[in-house]
Formats: sequence, structure tokens, C-alpha cells
Amino acid sequence: MSFGDGFLRFPDLFPGRRGGEPWGDRTVAVDVAGGPYLFTGLSAAQAAAVRDRFAGLCRDASEAAATAMVATQVFRAPAADFLDRDVRGWEYTLDMEHAPSAVSLAGLRLMARLDWGPHLAGGLWTCEEAGEEWSASVFENFLRVLAAYRLLAEEGAVIHSAGVTGGESAFLLLGPSGAGKTTVSRLCLARGAAVLSDDLNAVRLGDGGARLQKLPFTGDLGDRGSLGDAPASVPLRALLRLAKGPEERLRPLSPAAALAGLVAAAPFVNRDPWRREALLGVLERLARAVPAYELTFSLAGDPWAILQSISP
Amino acid sequence: MSVITPTTVLKRRSDVRYRLIEGEAVVLRQSAAEVLVLNEVGASVLELADGERSVGDWIDALAAEYEGDSTALARDVLAFAAELAEAGLLEPG
Amino acid sequence: MSLSRVIATAWRENLLFSVLVELTYRCNLDCFFCYNDLGLKGEPLTREEYFRLFAELREMEVLNLTLTGGEPLAHPDFLVLGARARELGFVVRVKSNGHALRGELARRVRDEVDPFLIEVSLHGATAVTHDRQTRVPGSFDRLLANLRELRELGLRVKLNSTLTAWNEGEIEGMFAVADSLGLPLQVDPEVTPRDDGGREPLQVTASREGVLRLFRLQFERGRAAQGGQVEVQVARGGDDGTLPTPVDKHCGAGSSGLAIDPYGNVYPCVQWRRPVGNLHRQGLREIWRGSAGLAEVRDLTVEVKERLAVQGAGGHLLNFCPGSAAIQAGTPFELYPAAVQRRELLEQVMAEEESGRKKKTSLPIVR
Repeated sequence: MSFGDGFLRFPDLFPGRRGGEPWGDRTVAVDVAGGPYLFTGLSAAQAAAVRDRFAGLCRDASEAAATAMVATQVFRAPAADFLDRDVRGWEYTLDMEHAPSAVSLAGLRLMARLDWGPHLAGGLWTCEEAGEEWSASVFENFLRVLAAYRLLAEEGAVIHSAGVTGGESAFLLLGPSGAGKTTVSRLCLARGAAVLSDDLNAVRLGDGGARLQKLPFTGDLGDRGSLGDAPASVPLRALLRLAKGPEERLRPLSPAAALAGLVAAAPFVNRDPWRREALLGVLERLARAVPAYELTFSLAGDPWAILQSISP
Repeated sequence: MSVITPTTVLKRRSDVRYRLIEGEAVVLRQSAAEVLVLNEVGASVLELADGERSVGDWIDALAAEYEGDSTALARDVLAFAAELAEAGLLEPG
Repeated sequence: MSLSRVIATAWRENLLFSVLVELTYRCNLDCFFCYNDLGLKGEPLTREEYFRLFAELREMEVLNLTLTGGEPLAHPDFLVLGARARELGFVVRVKSNGHALRGELARRVRDEVDPFLIEVSLHGATAVTHDRQTRVPGSFDRLLANLRELRELGLRVKLNSTLTAWNEGEIEGMFAVADSLGLPLQVDPEVTPRDDGGREPLQVTASREGVLRLFRLQFERGRAAQGGQVEVQVARGGDDGTLPTPVDKHCGAGSSGLAIDPYGNVYPCVQWRRPVGNLHRQGLREIWRGSAGLAEVRDLTVEVKERLAVQGAGGHLLNFCPGSAAIQAGTPFELYPAAVQRRELLEQVMAEEESGRKKKTSLPIVR
């Protein structure tokens, strides 16, 4: 299988550069970790839909343009460019192709590229089918990847994780799908904690240590209702690798073990041979800066109490 | 190709492209990358060669347009049709 | 009853003959020196607008229609538009990078569009050089494989290249590649700025020596092909380079040719980026007849011819392009450096040719 085969009818015509037919002339700036992220070439309907989806996180475009570090041009692509695929029942991962200064992405109704020339810029081609003008999932799938790469340049990373907080500091819970991120998040919520996200969080390294930043991407928990009132950015107190067991337990982890867990949980970039080194650098510094533990939790237990017992 | 008579039906070959400029026809035979220029009568013949009308129909159509000796016209048209077929611009319709 | 005379009539009477259409600026490659103005904004032409345009061009008896971009095949309606162009009897040329021209798509282009010619860009004799320009690894190998396939499909293909600092050292190799594929190769010695005036492409302008080498090679090949006297085509003659120059004008820009960008802007020529109308607002015939800008351009091409006359007999060796001058120097009259150099080097090579011939005829006869 070569790049784009499963998603695109004409992989040979995959855009080699940011050029094509924009949807319109609207610009929206989304202010999430690593942003503001500027999206240009949107139609009025798309701009409204983005503002709706990311309510509260959208800044005035002209004001943001001055500080925006990443701009993405959005173009139309004909429905004929994309293959119809039934992805129900299986986990859908984007097709990615990595080059020294570019990353190509192909997915459901999605073509995109990230180019470093030398600064990061994005190009996104979305489907031109009636009713599909705006697809939240396409936009979000792209923004997840964009944020992951953008944060790399700012001593940060996007991590598959749950982030829980009591307000003054936060905990990063790592584990593959099914490890219990959503379950532990729910248990903590019930005890008065707030959840930044039960799916994807951003870590940032700075002079003051590591911080956890909320990303507007959630898993099952977000769909079901409130996540509590987590602040957008909180100091990171500890990294926790989740394990299931009959008895609750907290066991320290070495930085090396923490690093291994982090790399496995850093999507998109961890597969990229050209930028994996940079990612490892950030994650290694993180693993040294923040204590790590393995948290064995049980459904009948109180993981929030255990987390709070970790001294700051 | 056999002798062209008024009952022969001819049409432009599929690779022929042409335009009329000031009464003359600039013709390109794509497969041979050859460009020809035809005078008014030749241009008219090319236009009329739709694969449905016979050479005789062309003569009638042109006789209505041009005054003068209709026999001479018929002879010219037949000769032209043969020439254009020879040049690869026309084929049996 | 010559073609030149008919064409001269066309120019004199301002009869549109050739139109070049940039269908999209989307491209599946990323050539360093691409001249497209990617920052250009506008409303893309719809399928219906293209159909209307083609119908008008047919009524105006336009013969040549060149589809380009970006990569024209990347336009969603390429096959539909190409088929319509064929139906309407245009001589269709497609300028493509060839990267996607294989398999089903290539077959469909042949069967549904049946173009007169596909013009494909070659940037080097090696993958290192070619891919350096396209910035897509593997594009050279893909191109060669596709060219073989296109030939087997019976499509007519021509190779176009621009001489650059990157490929000037392997120009013989590029001709060898073309020869091995049985395809003609046309090499342009001039890199032009971007359509928005950006000068980055000029960073890879070939050296003087490189251009000289090219001209010598072209003369040599011409001589070999014709077994003696060579007449090298040095005069620019319209978008497809196959037309002779008009009598009273320097070129056919705006009088026998036009270019149209993806947003409906109409230009006198692909090189002269002065918009003279927009198809969203007016039909093409209306622009052709009524545009003040177009009328001015026609007068300018007359003036250019008059001004060039003072250059003497070698004036045509400049291969002067008023559109290029307008972008490079701000005025369509100024002799830009590439034109001056071109004339100098051609005169030098022609002198070498002449003295070479003289040498031969003055060899002493040995008894």
C-alpha cells in the first residue's frame, strides 16, 4: 500500500504544495496550545461552524494574525478525490508520509500537508460534497496533528492521556486505549476533581517547570457532559502510567520508564523519523522534570485520593 | 480509396481540427501534426463533410451559394473531396 | 495559400487564435521556480462558466486551446472540460508535469480528451537534479516510467525544460534522455520571476557559460538533424511557439492570443500579467472587443516592434518579451538582462558557426 491508497481515488494528484481553490475568504484564529492557529480561505458557513465548535477559543483574526505562528490555508477538493469507506467498527488512523521538511496526511475526506519552509505552515483540502462543506471531524483530525507538530517547536508535545486537576496542579494519566483514562477521569470527577481532557492533552516545558494545557479534544467523557471547570493551563505535578488491579497502588517509575510511556503516547510525531529526535528530547526533559508513578486503580477505589497524596 | 462520386458519403476524420479565418480554413491533422490551409471551397467542403450528407448534397448546397457554372463547381467539389481524402482529412462516412 | 499569411491576417484583424487556460493552481509537485502567483485571490470559474467560455471561443473560431495550471489534471473537471474542448474541435494541448499521467488516468486522457499534444516538464538528466527542482523525491523516476507508458498509449508528448544553474551541467544528458524516449525537447534558457513579481526563481538563473553551452548544443543538433544549414527557431511566436510573428506587431499578445487564470482574469499572454478583464463580469467576446486594456496592449506591441527596429538585424535574437519586461523592469519596453545576454550569446555562437563553415570550405585541396 502506498500513501493515500486507502483514502484517495487519485493519490498521484495529492497536493505537493499549498495551492488550489479556497472555499471563501474568511479567516478564523483558534487559540489552543501552541496557537493561535490561523485558518484562511474558509467560507462564511465554515467560519461560523469553527467558531461554534471552538466557542471561547476563537480570536479575532486580524488581531491574531500578528501573533499567529501557524497559518493553514483551507482549499476545496472534489468529492471524487476521496474514496468511500465504511470505517464503523475499526479504529481509523490517518495515512502519513514523512519527508525532511514536510508531512503529508490522507484520511477520510481529508488531504493535508504540513510544510516547514522554514516555519511551519499548513494546507488542508476538504471535501466538496453538499452538506459536507463543514466536517468537524476532518477539521479536528487535522488540528490534532498540527498541534502535535507545532508544540514540538515550543518545547511541548501532545499526549494521548487524561489530565485531571484540583485547580492548583494537574496529573497526566497515560495508557493505551482501554487502559482506563476515561474511567479514572470519571472516578476523579465524582470526587470533585476537574478534567482537562480524557483523550488528548498538551504538555509544555518552561522555566517554571512542566505545565499541562487543555486541548479542545475529548473522548467519551466529553461527549457525555461536563468535565468540571478545569483551568486552561496548570502546573504538572506527576505523570502516571495506568494499570488495572484488585488493589489500588502507587509505585514510583524511573524516568526511563516514564519516557517510554510518553513516547508511546505521543501520537503522529512518534512515527516521524525526521522529527522523532526532537520529540524524544522534549519528552526526556519532561520525564526528568516531573516525578512518575504507576497507578494501579480499581473501579471500587478512589484514585483521586491517591493522586492527591503525591507530594508536590 | 475508391473513386468519389456524388453518392459517396464522407466525413472528417476524428483527428482533424480546423477553424475558418476570413473564409479560409486552417486545418490540423493531429495524428500527423500537419497544418494545411484550404481556400473557400475547400473550407466549405470540410464543413459539409458530416458523414450524413453525400458529395452530391454538398454540390447542391454550394451551388445555392455560388453563382456560375454548376458543372465546373461539381467537378471542383469532386476533385477537392478526392484531394482531401488523399490528404487524410476525410474518410468514408 | 500559406499558413503564415493566414496568421498574419489573424493578427492584423485581431482575430483570436490561441488561448491558454490555467485551470487551477493546485499542483502535485512543488517546483522551486514555479511562476504561479499562489497568493492570488479570486472566485474560481465554475464548470458552466468554462463551458460558456469554450462555446464563445468556438464561435470566435479560436483553434488552439492549451490547458495548464498548476497541474491541470488536478482540476476536478479536467476530463469533462477536456472532453468538451475536444467536442468543440479545438486543438487541445495539455501542459502537465506528468506525475499523475499513468494507468487509468492516462488512458482516460487519451480516450476522453484526445489532446493534440501533452507538454511535460523535464528538469534534469538525473533524479538528483530533477527532484531538486520539483521537491518531490521520486518524481524523476516516476516521470520516465510515465513517459514510456504515454508513448505506448499512443499519446503525442513533447518535453519542455528551462535551463537553470542546477541543470546547466547536464544539458547533454537531458537531450540524451529525450532522445532515448524518442521525444523532442525544447529548452528555454530564461528563468522568469513569479507572476507576482517575486524574484526567488531568479536565484537559479543559469550562468552565461551554461547558456552558451546550450546554444552551441542546439545548433549542433540542428545541424546534425538537417545535415547542413541550420535554421534555429529563435523568434517567439505565441503561446505554443509554432506561429510566426505578425507583420506590424512584435508579437500576438492580445491580438491573436490570450491567457486566463483560474479566477477568470484575462491576460494578453501567459507572460504578460496585466489583467484586461474578468470572465465573471463579462463574456470573452465582450472583453476581446471592448477592453481598453487590451486595446492599449495591442498598441504597445506595435510600439515595441518600432522600438526594436532600432536594434537592427539582430533584434529578433533578443527574443524580447514585453510581458517579461513588464514584470522584471516595470515597463514593457525595457531590455531586461536575459534578453541582452541572449542576443550576445546567439551572435557569438552564430559567428562560431559561420567561421566553422568558412574553415571547411577553405581547406587546401591536397593533390
